Amino acid sequence: MIKPITQSKIFNNHLKRVISDDAFAAKAIVVCSVMKDVFAYSVRYKTTMENKKIPEKRRPFVAAMDLASGIVTAIAQIAVGFSIANPKLQNALWNKMFKNAQFKHIDAAKKSFATILALIGSGVITERIIVPLMATPFAAFMERKFFKHIPQDTNNKKFSNYPFSTPAKNSVFKNFISFRTNKI
Amino acid sequence: MKIHSVSPIKFNQRVANSLEKFSEQGGEKIANYINAAGKFAIAPLMILYNPFTKEPKENKKWAAIKQPVEAVITIAAQIMSLNLLYKGIDKLAQKGKLNFKLVQDAIKGGEIPKAVMQASGGDRAKAIKNLQKTCLDIFKDRAGTILTIALFVPVLAISNRIFPVIADLLTKDNDD
Repeated sequence: MIKPITQSKIFNNHLKRVISDDAFAAKAIVVCSVMKDVFAYSVRYKTTMENKKIPEKRRPFVAAMDLASGIVTAIAQIAVGFSIANPKLQNALWNKMFKNAQFKHIDAAKKSFATILALIGSGVITERIIVPLMATPFAAFMERKFFKHIPQDTNNKKFSNYPFSTPAKNSVFKNFISFRTNKI
Repeated sequence: MKIHSVSPIKFNQRVANSLEKFSEQGGEKIANYINAAGKFAIAPLMILYNPFTKEPKENKKWAAIKQPVEAVITIAAQIMSLNLLYKGIDKLAQKGKLNFKLVQDAIKGGEIPKAVMQASGGDRAKAIKNLQKTCLDIFKDRAGTILTIALFVPVLAISNRIFPVIADLLTKDNDD
């Protein structure tokens, strides 16, 4: 099972690029990290679709919102991570921070520096700060603009799977937002 | 060993040393550490102090406590499993069952990536050894990502069981 991988052209080209290109190495780790989140979003979509506490009529929409928020977050993470991995930015930051520092293995350190910064940019700043902050006003705007017609549900229990459902806040978007802002 | 640059500045040097030490962990572990740190330190603050969420304080507290609990459980499970996986991969490599085409071609006289050649000071035998190690590290990272994904569901299930107990303990005084 392992031999076809270690001998495959695709994997060996991947190895070659990771070794030779620091930006590519950082991007590869960002993609791997985002893949984990994408899997988490898919699980969330599935559990929402199977959640009988959400009215059947609304379930696909709520689930679609979970999925959409996941896709938007993943795209934002990749965009930020890839931008930070850019060699020009990396060189500028490296020269500013480590101009006078000594390294035993400078090439390995440079590669890790790019990877760490790209991961902090995508997995911490984008995923945990920018997206939760933007999600609330964005969803409120979307709800105002496009989803006024969705009837308000007055039964709090129907959305009790969401962390912050209250009778006054039972619209589909507000539930979606509570979820995004308090992301698992 | 080649030492780059001169006149070290204390703080920069300390950061540089930490960076070198941290980089030895490998990409997958670094990604997991950063993710756990963000979840542990940033996510609770975002929940508690997000100016756009108008939720009861107690609800916010519960959701905020969930994040560090989940972060600790997740990182512990990930690091333990990754260590086991990496040990297994090392054993396979020692038995000669992990032969990367890139390394085999290099042994047969083929091209060695420039970066590896430079880091090995131009010594071809050393470069082949380093190339094998680098390929193995990248392989470990990718296999580690798959393992981390596979761990997601059981880890979440464990964390969902443990977190209400901890949240209940921490918010008990306020509820009373």
